[in-house]
Amino acid sequence: MGLAERLYSFDGIFIPGFIASRTMKFLQQSGQAIGYFWAVLGTGLGSLLISPLRHLVDLSNVALLYVLAVVVMAVSFGRGPAVVTALTASLCYAYFFVPPHFSLAITEGQHLLAAIIMLVVALIVSHLTSRLKQHADFTSRKSVESTKLYELTQELAGASTPDVVIELATQFLLASFQARQVRVYFPGDFESASGPASPALLEQCIQRHELLSRPTSQGRFYALIPLAAASSSQGVLGFEVEAATLGSQDAVEHIETVASIVAVALERSYFAEKARQTEIKHAAETLRSSILSALSHDLRTPLTALVGMAETIALGKVPADKQQQTLEAIRNQAVSISQQMTNLLEMAKLSAGKFQLNLAWQPVEEVIGATLQQVATEWKNRAVTVDLAKDLPPINIDAVLIERVLWNLVENAIKYSPAATPVEILVRRVDEEMEIAVCDSGTGISSANTEQLFELFQRGKTESEIPGVGLGLSIAKTIVEAHGGSIAAQNRDGCGSCFRVRLPLGNPPCFEEMDGPA
Amino acid sequence: MDMETILIVEDEQQIREAVAMALQCEGFNVCEAGTASHAAVQAAARQPDLLIVDLGLPDRDGVDFVRDYRAWATTPILILSARSEEGSKVDALDAGADDYLTKPFGIAELLARVRALLRRRQPDQQAALPTLLFGDYLIDCVNRVVTRAGVAIHLTQIEYRLLAFLAANPGRVLTHRHLLSQVWGGQAVENHQYLRVYVGHLRQKIEDNPAQPRHILTEIGVGYRFQP
Repeated sequence: MGLAERLYSFDGIFIPGFIASRTMKFLQQSGQAIGYFWAVLGTGLGSLLISPLRHLVDLSNVALLYVLAVVVMAVSFGRGPAVVTALTASLCYAYFFVPPHFSLAITEGQHLLAAIIMLVVALIVSHLTSRLKQHADFTSRKSVESTKLYELTQELAGASTPDVVIELATQFLLASFQARQVRVYFPGDFESASGPASPALLEQCIQRHELLSRPTSQGRFYALIPLAAASSSQGVLGFEVEAATLGSQDAVEHIETVASIVAVALERSYFAEKARQTEIKHAAETLRSSILSALSHDLRTPLTALVGMAETIALGKVPADKQQQTLEAIRNQAVSISQQMTNLLEMAKLSAGKFQLNLAWQPVEEVIGATLQQVATEWKNRAVTVDLAKDLPPINIDAVLIERVLWNLVENAIKYSPAATPVEILVRRVDEEMEIAVCDSGTGISSANTEQLFELFQRGKTESEIPGVGLGLSIAKTIVEAHGGSIAAQNRDGCGSCFRVRLPLGNPPCFEEMDGPA
Repeated sequence: MDMETILIVEDEQQIREAVAMALQCEGFNVCEAGTASHAAVQAAARQPDLLIVDLGLPDRDGVDFVRDYRAWATTPILILSARSEEGSKVDALDAGADDYLTKPFGIAELLARVRALLRRRQPDQQAALPTLLFGDYLIDCVNRVVTRAGVAIHLTQIEYRLLAFLAANPGRVLTHRHLLSQVWGGQAVENHQYLRVYVGHLRQKIEDNPAQPRHILTEIGVGYRFQP
């Protein structure tokens, strides 16, 4: 697109980027004012100083001296000052050195030729040198830019969600362009866009496929650039920068490159998100069908028994001693069904991914104590021993959920081991983790693959007289993993099994103890 | 002597009837309400000695009902909550409820809680005395000294205040918030870890086995209950 087609205005209309700050570019050149100053005054004064020595120095050497000055100026200040130096130099040469001295008149043809050649050489040298300098500057700037772009690309490759992509892009724009108010306008929220960008401008930006900017305050500009990726437009990237940042075609191209990298990363993260959601949906579907089959198999049987027993009692023909026994059985059956229901609901809640950990730092004894309290109400005569290592640090957990884990493990241990044997809970520190082991002296785990035990609806023995639907361990696993921990099962030497929960320790907060003796 | 009257506020008819039957068998007078508004009318008319309130009521939040009721009566309230109502259970206790049971609950457990709440309502002869007794411990509230079988136990100021407050409310669920505001003062109600650390210290000093406490029991996710 030609320059003439680009809009240019200062009263609030968005204007294509790099023309916007022509004026600023001019000001930027004011740094060169010093160069011009030196070109005129330096050359003049230098000539005046050397002029008393004109009898000692050959005229051609003087001319070379001037050429040297031009080269130095070209390297330090660029083309403009170098050209001025060349012109000043030829005037000074004619005025101070070429006879007649202190006059611009050149009488001898040879001297005139020398002066002209010197001027031409100086001009050519200044042109070449400054071009070389420009080129070198450009290359080194480009190389820094590409290194940074490469780093950005690498960082973005690791970003899995759009939020992370935006966060990284914001950091990059701040570091590279001192950009503020970085924001990505997604196509969905164009309508509600406010602040420096309006819905119409965002639309325009998308349609024109180019960077638009508008002055905000104190010489800063708000820039909008479309984020166009392979499949579709991801939105518009908006940010506020110094006007000078948008000052050249080169800079605008750089920003456009950044925008296209961000656009691709956004697109990728969007598809990754979509894939993840599909996966979750699929998992939920699997879970639902598993729950249905569990309900039909494992709950219907005890319910049938329940109805049968209740009807038998209702007939009134059961002898008194049997009656009491049957009522007890009905109660136990109902309690067990209720527990399984609780497990099912809990699992459905956990695997829907909707639960939030209510983390708090607390001593692990607290949770273990609460679990044992519960065990004591359910199984009055069952011995549970606790072995706590000394000086265990507090741990950051959701107590309600971890208690559920321990309860499930202890309940399993009690169910699957002889009543006379104790269940053991061992707590110790292993490197940067706390290990809570629940061990029993039962039959141990028969299946070779202990991993399988933690899967949904898996039971140690498929046909077992012990009630349950095989949810306890997978609930435990889900909860422990949500805490960043792990759970594993193994057979003990001798007999029985051990379930080990490991939870990361982290850094407990310090708190001041403002306390004195009572 | 007249038996106490108990008001059951529960919208599920089956549970209401089961609870009513169990209480009637124990000789209590029972009145029932299926909604919060009916419950308020019943509570004013019958002046019950105890309320059993389900948190999931059809017309109002059970927590709000408890809060309003507490504004005009000190009658003990026992909360019934489903497992999914963990949060509102704590809110209800903070609002002034005295104890809770999670569904499904056993009738024996329910009767035990009801009796404990009714017993506590009777003016305690001991309350006038400046000493608290539990196990073989004695708390002398005048000299701020705790002894076990005559041997003094060294407690810090906060530990003493915590123990004295717990022991003064035997059998009662005390939420984290409640304990923090009583022992540390109003500004500390969110610092649950303070409380946990001090309870830990206290257990080390007074429990034979801190991991299996006999006196300071943890109500997970709710608070603590002191058992004399």
